Amino acid sequence: MIRLLFRRSVPLVLSLVLSSCTDIVEPNQLAFVLGTSIDPAEGGQIEVGHQIVIPTQKSGPFDGLSESSEGFVVLSATGRDVFEASEKVQKKLSRKLMTSHRILIAISEDFINKNDVSALFDKLNRDPANNERDVTVMIKGSAKQFLTLGHPMEHLSSIAADKEMQVNGLKSFSTRQFIIDSVSEGTRPLLPTLQIQNAKLSSKITTPIAQWSGYAFLNKRLKVKGALNETEGSGVLWMSGKMMSQGLTVPWKDGKGALSFRLTHLRRQIRSGGNPEHVVLTVKAQAYLLENTTSLDMSEVNNKRMAERYVNDQLQKDLQAAMDKVRNWGTDAFGIGEHLHRKHPYWWKKQRDDWDDKFKSLNVTVKADIKLRSSGTSGAQLKP
Amino acid sequence: MSFISGNLEENEAYLKEQFDPCSDIVMRTYILNDGSKLLLLYIDGMIRLQSIEDNVLRPLINNGLPQGIDRIRSLAEMLGREWLPLTNVKTEQTLEGLIQHILKGSLALLVDGMASSLIAQVQDFETRSVQEPKKESTLRGSKEGFVENIRTNTSMIRRRIVHPDLKMESFTIGRYTQTEVVLAYIRGLASEKVLAEVREKLGRIEADGIIDSSYIEEWIENSSFSIFPQIQNTERPDIAAVSLLEGKVVLITNGTPFALILPVTFWSGLQSADDYFERFVFIILTRLIRYTLTFVSLALPAIYVALSTFHPDMIPSSLMINIATARESSPFPTVIELFLMMFIFDGLQEAGVHLPNQLGPVVSIIGALVIGQAAVEAGLISTPIIIVISLTGVAAYTIPRYSSTLPFRLIRYLLLIVSGLLGFVGFTFGIIFLLIHLVMLESFGTPYLSPVAPFDGKRIKDVVIRYPFWAKKGKSKGGGKR
Repeated sequence: MIRLLFRRSVPLVLSLVLSSCTDIVEPNQLAFVLGTSIDPAEGGQIEVGHQIVIPTQKSGPFDGLSESSEGFVVLSATGRDVFEASEKVQKKLSRKLMTSHRILIAISEDFINKNDVSALFDKLNRDPANNERDVTVMIKGSAKQFLTLGHPMEHLSSIAADKEMQVNGLKSFSTRQFIIDSVSEGTRPLLPTLQIQNAKLSSKITTPIAQWSGYAFLNKRLKVKGALNETEGSGVLWMSGKMMSQGLTVPWKDGKGALSFRLTHLRRQIRSGGNPEHVVLTVKAQAYLLENTTSLDMSEVNNKRMAERYVNDQLQKDLQAAMDKVRNWGTDAFGIGEHLHRKHPYWWKKQRDDWDDKFKSLNVTVKADIKLRSSGTSGAQLKP
Repeated sequence: MSFISGNLEENEAYLKEQFDPCSDIVMRTYILNDGSKLLLLYIDGMIRLQSIEDNVLRPLINNGLPQGIDRIRSLAEMLGREWLPLTNVKTEQTLEGLIQHILKGSLALLVDGMASSLIAQVQDFETRSVQEPKKESTLRGSKEGFVENIRTNTSMIRRRIVHPDLKMESFTIGRYTQTEVVLAYIRGLASEKVLAEVREKLGRIEADGIIDSSYIEEWIENSSFSIFPQIQNTERPDIAAVSLLEGKVVLITNGTPFALILPVTFWSGLQSADDYFERFVFIILTRLIRYTLTFVSLALPAIYVALSTFHPDMIPSSLMINIATARESSPFPTVIELFLMMFIFDGLQEAGVHLPNQLGPVVSIIGALVIGQAAVEAGLISTPIIIVISLTGVAAYTIPRYSSTLPFRLIRYLLLIVSGLLGFVGFTFGIIFLLIHLVMLESFGTPYLSPVAPFDGKRIKDVVIRYPFWAKKGKSKGGGKR
């Protein structure tokens, strides 16, 4: 049998070799797209910009790129859909666009408000040459301009944005998650927002760089209904289960000093009991005290207990405020609708069509359950 | 078949004719003081002359016939009684047998009036002393290696297995070389079926000469066209002894230090003697490394081609950009580049084998400088290729036996071709074909991939994880008895 197969395979191999019929693509025939921007263009068209790495013949991939400041190019074109625009970009390029390595998709706020964002999903989902692990962010201003920016630490602004999210404990902001949130009935997507601001990096250099400005909350039709700044937003992220760790600073009740914690193992739990109109959302975390400017001696067990209780109360108050804000916009970024869908399917059938409105009048109570795991290596404050 | 006649002149004439012209044959006639003629025949340089002079010639010439309890009247009578002060003495009636014995280094004594010849086995020729085997050196364990002399080799095994059930059947193969081949096995452990097959195959060999055990290997192996060796060779008597204890059969050939072991499996090619000499916990690690690198040695170039030129989306972004940067100015396609480098690497290796020792460093300098550095700096070859090829080359040498590395070196090329044509589809097909072949292959009735496929719970204890010796009881019986 082997011999037969061998005889059969020789002509096959030969025919492939002689006709040079293969799918082979050398790496120097590819243009690696690391970031894509989506901006509105005139006449309801889309402007698609691709941030493309320039591989240079240097010892390392990015060696010397930062000095000459440009290790990349941004090429853009307009079209009726993403494909048409990308084809126009391709015409300007000597290499084949390769979107599988994309790290980030930046959508401008204008585009979200003017166009139908869900029209982008089809291309992202249908074309297998897209990896949906890239993150989706919203840019205040021009998304294309964001791509052209440099970054003091990283070589590309898209790499920088991605790493910033990772290092700050944000998860589940991939394009795939964005699409899932958008199409599901009981969850509304939220997008991290970047703003271009001038930053003074040293005594001489002042350059515009993209900075986190907060989070945008989208409704069922994917329009921005509200925005929260970063401090408030991180509480919402915790409540929607999209954050892994964060810092927390609580001013002490006597107004003198504050307690700062690192919170890890962030979790949240939604409970509705028998009544779907009353939902309890519990957030849980482990806290590690890292700074104490109050007069408390945190090696005392009673002080520890008191501090834990106080921090929980304060946190609960803050989170409830943030929750009420978001609830008033009607954007259920927490997935409470999904929870109720599973718990009360018959009740849900009557609610799902105008969930955005129904969510506004829902009674959601936030409870905090933080466990103080460590009070650090010193007891009382060091006093001279 | 002709017999030795009673007439010494007749015999002498016949032997002279047979051995003409053979400058190394010594025929010497002595006339003793009683008038009887004695003819001595031997090959110069192959016998212990001193012992013959001391024990045979001097007494006969100086003292006449030795007188023991009985009275010996003639030389013929003395030889008829094998009355020589030597241990290994026998009588031979035929002329052909006589010639055989002389050629193998015996001394022949012929006497007028006697229709037989006395053969004294006093072989003594220059041999290499027992040394440490260079190709299979181990960190711990015996430092003895087989030598060219078959009797030294059999004695080394016999010293390790002190039991009458260790059998050594002798065969003589090769029309001209008359090479002695010993079939060693332990009765009761070795499978009778395998033994019968080996005996039958040895009997069928029709060769002019057997110079090395590799000749025997090619004559008796089951699938000559398979790239995988179905017989293992070893220079180490301890490995031979262990194999015997595992129920395997060992073939020792005269004139070569390489003994053959059969039947073998795929895994035995990847196992080293050191695996049994070190504590078993560490062997888990070394074997895992070895198996992984074995796979690397056959598949890495193919995987690299498939990944970088067919599925660049599967490589992490930063690595892919690294590769793309390094390849920016390469004039050749990746497959061709890899092919060239593999070819050059194998060429260097071949050159290294044949170079005289003094010239060895030359090849390494040229290889390292020209191929390693200059080719990259000149922009002919990209750096990742050098890394891939050197890693592949080094990985192949984690396989402890040289003959086991050869199939992997060949498969490397085949997999590279199919991967270069079809990407991972081709690579997968290549691996599937390889597995089909391995599963179908047999070595003397033992499936080549056993004990993995077909699965054997007892013997599996020695494949990836070597269980401690006390935990593998019964293992030695699994090999032979089926």
